[in-house]
Amino acid sequence: MATLSLKNIKKIYDGGVVAVQAFNLDIADKEFIVLVGPSGCGKSTTLRMIAGLEEISEGELYIDDKLVNEVEPKDRDIAMVFQSYALYPHMTVYENMAFSLKLKKVPKDEIDKRVKWAAEILDITQYLSRKPKALSGGQRQRVAIGRAIVREPKVFLMDEPLSNLDAKLRNQMRAEIIKLRQSVDTTFIYVTHDQTEAMTLGDRIVIMRDGWIMQIGTPQEVFDHPANVFVAGFIGMPQMNFFDGELVKNGSNYSLLVNGAKVALSERIQKGLAEKGVDSKKVIAGCRPEHMIMKPAGEDTMKATVDVSEMMGSEIHLHLSCFGKDVVVRIPSTELSAEHRGGMAYGTEIDISFPADLIHLFDPETEENLL
Amino acid sequence: MAKPKSSMSRTLARRETISAYLFLLPSLLFFVGFVIIPMVICIINSLTDASMYTKGLGNFVGLSNFIRLWQDSTFLGALKNTFIIVVVSVPVVCLFSLWVSSAIYKLKGPILSTFRCIFYLPVVTGSVAVTVVWKWMYNNYTGVFNYVLKSLGIIDQNINWLGDSRYALGCIILILLTTSVGQPIVLYVSALGNVDQSLVEAAQVDGATNLQVFWRIKWPQMMPTTLYILVITTINSFQCFALIQLLTSGGSGTNTVMYYIYYTAFKLTEQSGHFGYANAMGVMLAIFIGLLSALQFKLAEEK
Repeated sequence: MATLSLKNIKKIYDGGVVAVQAFNLDIADKEFIVLVGPSGCGKSTTLRMIAGLEEISEGELYIDDKLVNEVEPKDRDIAMVFQSYALYPHMTVYENMAFSLKLKKVPKDEIDKRVKWAAEILDITQYLSRKPKALSGGQRQRVAIGRAIVREPKVFLMDEPLSNLDAKLRNQMRAEIIKLRQSVDTTFIYVTHDQTEAMTLGDRIVIMRDGWIMQIGTPQEVFDHPANVFVAGFIGMPQMNFFDGELVKNGSNYSLLVNGAKVALSERIQKGLAEKGVDSKKVIAGCRPEHMIMKPAGEDTMKATVDVSEMMGSEIHLHLSCFGKDVVVRIPSTELSAEHRGGMAYGTEIDISFPADLIHLFDPETEENLL
Repeated sequence: MAKPKSSMSRTLARRETISAYLFLLPSLLFFVGFVIIPMVICIINSLTDASMYTKGLGNFVGLSNFIRLWQDSTFLGALKNTFIIVVVSVPVVCLFSLWVSSAIYKLKGPILSTFRCIFYLPVVTGSVAVTVVWKWMYNNYTGVFNYVLKSLGIIDQNINWLGDSRYALGCIILILLTTSVGQPIVLYVSALGNVDQSLVEAAQVDGATNLQVFWRIKWPQMMPTTLYILVITTINSFQCFALIQLLTSGGSGTNTVMYYIYYTAFKLTEQSGHFGYANAMGVMLAIFIGLLSALQFKLAEEK
């Protein structure tokens, strides 16, 4: 259990490559923070700096208000689960889990108690005498987590722990990590490139790109109010659709023109734009696939042609071609006529529109959210 | 009509096997002709009284050559010296090369190459050339050792390094060490570089000190390399011959089993030319090397 504070953290590798820039984050005690972003965004480097495995080039890192920039990893009281699991191959599962406690000279019966407790939580009791090579990927992952939790560390770091597992096992382990969090009440910092993991696990998510923090917020915040085009596109599956549009200010009233469709904006958006003093301008309009509406032609609709129709069971994903752009629309099966419930034929023409309150407006130059 | 698939693949497999053996044939012939057959002849000879004074294979004498070995004080002395060389050089070579390689493996390109070159040079330099240089350095009158020790006031009178039985074996072991550490260093540098870095990091996060990381994580990872080094160093030490031949000819208490085999078989003296007896020593030496290597494997497996 600990608080962490990262102040202006920067990482420059030999050769001048800057991996992390101006990283500022305060992590509360027992908070579950997820660092998410594409490969090379600096999330793992940040985690490794917290662990003490990478030197911090600039900035300060505090654990429980103590500056730890120069503190060795062994003295930081952190536990880490590695992407490759990093289980000691010459030790049994039991020895792997007991290793850190032995180094700390914890009494044998206490070690035994803690290892068995962790093994029980993770359901690996029957494998304690096996060597890692005799375990499956999922079991190894559990051992790696077990090795970390026996220590009862101040901070629990996880570096893409599920990325080596197949999809089914990944979903299962994700649920287990949520359960684990309830039994191991400590501060978690979790790195992933998978936005589903980020959304389901994190109390707060830190979205990174090219070493910079793009946005910090709760899953709901980053989903509902993405700070910029990158976050809007990164969070959400399938990703948000973007259109070139024009924001027109008429007195105190705003309207949006997209490919000839005149889209009404909700009172909330109108108010937000007015408060920010936004004038008439070109914008990037974003709308999530599940929010797009299929409706009869009108002044607020755009024509689109079906390229691909994916039947997902409870909904269909329509990949449309709309004024030369690819647009994805998710439509629940219940909202479709019987003839279209199984999907739509290639070339079918439909009309699509935006809901007044679920549209995101971004500045085309800065790519920042206008609201 | 096409053949069934299984018989087709069997034919293919047979063809592949035949071509594999054809590729292997030249080296197999060489191996059989120059290793297996001489080994068999050696074992057969060790059970006879074959010598340069008898015709053909000699008479079958059973194990009497082997019994005679244990009553031959020269052989026992040579065996003792051989064991001293093995017991000193094997651990020293292993530990020294481990120490050097852990100090240099993290160095960058050219510096690492320079160190590797320095330590590997004696391995690639002809052993005769190296030995001759050492012979000069050990020289009673003009050698650098006596000069330095005298200049520093450590000794008053020159020491006859290779002629004095108190020093000769030690001097030979020292040369053996310098020519033996090159390969282990190169092997250890590569083994250390191959240790999975995430294991090292996991151990650091788990609270291990650098020393604990080394002994508890890196060292077990390097076990196969260590075992290989132990075995080759043991074999090399048992087979120490050129040094003795060039420096002392087995005198000054430096006789080894390998040299004694040569002496017994080929030296033109009255005691020489006894192929059967020399072969029995060779078989005995092979047994010792085999036993020690097996022991090393067993210990490494238990680890």
